Amino acid sequence: MKKLSFDTAISFITGIFVCLIVLPMFALFTATSFGELINQFGSPLVLSAIAISLETSLIVVLLALCLGIPVAYLLAMKDFKGKEILDTLVDLPICMPPLVAGLALLILLGGNNKFGSMLSNCGIDLIFSKKGIIIAQLFVSMPFLIKSARGAFESINKNVTNASLTLGASKFYTFKKVLLPLAKNGIYAGMVMTWARALGEFGATSMVAGCIPLKTETMPVAIYQNAMSGELTSSIAIALLLLVFSFTSLLIFKSRVRGQTG
Amino acid sequence: MGIALKKISKSYNGQAVLKNLNLEINRGEFHVLLGPSGGGKTTILSVIAGLIRQDNGDVLIGKRNVSNLSPEKRKIGFVFQDYALFPHLTVFDNVAYGLRVKNVEESEINQKVEYYLSKVSIEKEKGKFSRQLSGGQKQRVALIRALITEPEILLLDEPMSNLDALTKETTGNELKTIQQEMGMTTVYVTHNQDEAILLGDRVSVLNHGEIEQIEAPDELFYHPKTEFVARFVGAKNILKVRIIEINQYGAVAQVNNSGLGQPVQIRVNKYPIFEKGKEINLCIHPEKISLKRENKASDVNLNRIRGKLINKTNNGNGLKATIDTNGMELHATIPKDLFDFKIHEDVWVCFAPDAPHPLCGKKCRAPEAGRRCLVTTQVDRLLGC
Repeated sequence: MKKLSFDTAISFITGIFVCLIVLPMFALFTATSFGELINQFGSPLVLSAIAISLETSLIVVLLALCLGIPVAYLLAMKDFKGKEILDTLVDLPICMPPLVAGLALLILLGGNNKFGSMLSNCGIDLIFSKKGIIIAQLFVSMPFLIKSARGAFESINKNVTNASLTLGASKFYTFKKVLLPLAKNGIYAGMVMTWARALGEFGATSMVAGCIPLKTETMPVAIYQNAMSGELTSSIAIALLLLVFSFTSLLIFKSRVRGQTG
Repeated sequence: MGIALKKISKSYNGQAVLKNLNLEINRGEFHVLLGPSGGGKTTILSVIAGLIRQDNGDVLIGKRNVSNLSPEKRKIGFVFQDYALFPHLTVFDNVAYGLRVKNVEESEINQKVEYYLSKVSIEKEKGKFSRQLSGGQKQRVALIRALITEPEILLLDEPMSNLDALTKETTGNELKTIQQEMGMTTVYVTHNQDEAILLGDRVSVLNHGEIEQIEAPDELFYHPKTEFVARFVGAKNILKVRIIEINQYGAVAQVNNSGLGQPVQIRVNKYPIFEKGKEINLCIHPEKISLKRENKASDVNLNRIRGKLINKTNNGNGLKATIDTNGMELHATIPKDLFDFKIHEDVWVCFAPDAPHPLCGKKCRAPEAGRRCLVTTQVDRLLGC
């Protein structure tokens, strides 16, 4: 009897969790008609938001690959002074509120700051531009790639690396021919997570790049803007599209993780 | 190329793993590092390979001081305990890896890889990945992957520890044959004394980062220098004795092991280090002990100690017997067909005066009296008796 009660309680709590996730999705999907949704996807504002989001998030994934993999390699394969600090720095953007990150970037890159004015003098204007969006998205999403790639590097048998070295391969050759191929599933998973995070980024992006329609308005920013100005159908259309992207990336991520552990 | 390790020290987190270690391995020698886990065997291999940097000391390969060279510049081959095959590459590509690193022509790579695959009879597996291979096949792939680049030195870290007995014997013979054909200086790490006997030209016994003894296998097993080596090579009978008489025929020693109810006197061959009144440890191989039911006058040359059989365990061709001799345990390995004793039966533990030999802590000279052999095992066959 006791066991039955316990199991029932567990099932009930799980049911609450499922409702918490499914009900808002259901509300979103049933809030408007299919025809109206299709109409919204023809709107230049919606199309622009989609294009900006896809463009910036894909660039972010590429930049995260270039910057993140060396950091992941360093953290996974080397012991050095300050490793703990670097590790904490990698985690920081995940824990930091995006608005705080956005504010910090705005201050750093803005014209009132020496660094920002120096960039401006060189003709590099990052604030209220797509470049600003990319930097904001990179800031908050790159840790996902680093953490995933690091885990993949760490899971490689150390002796496999050593075998390559004793066969005469340099560290770079070993990295290219052994470590990268063996860590590829973890790196793919990290790319997917980074892309999903960059695509859904709102706080930091809106602080650094603002909400300029057709210029810096990404999908999450457009959802917020349209919802606040009463254009709910437009918000729903973009939100549903983001949901599809998130769901697809989650499926890819899970299949990659399965591939890595299986 | 020979190898010389000079005053090598290595510590991890303040704990010394290698202590001022010196070791010289001759060109073309098959050298076995034998010892228990944690003895520092794998660390020595890693230091030779350059995978671990020593805290102090020098590593010489031939006349080259390679102490500051990275692993890829040391011209070594390494076979890892877990084989460390590249899981994303086929058998062919694993074996070809070292040649591709050196930018060898693809046609030459094909030719060489095919030759080495056929040498260890795994041509049919060349398209398979490591997860599809048996332990023995993985071991062979790892071996030829290391050999194909024709390294100056071959290092093997317990490569047969994951193999079954039959595969181990076949692989061991193959390994020895290949090593002799190529004449490559080889360092082989194991904790298994049978592998050491089978493969080694010389064996170093390691204990807590120090070499206790370096010897040819037969010398090592016949003349362990220390109690640790004696116990490690299976000679568990250590008698703590005091020499009470030395005469022209030999010596008489009084056994004073702790726990022994009453001191026992035994006759032993005379060794140069014997001095009257000197306390010393003597070792008797279990194979050199026989058990008898009666104390016959015809056995007058044998030492005899009364005891009770307290345990027997099966050991392949023989039986391992444990006999309690009034508080001191002695161990004997008896051929099965000669063993008809029951547990708790009273027996006479018999051994010839030449069976005990001193653990002198340094290399001992051969006993002055002639050897007498009670040979039954592979160990004794290899002792050359």
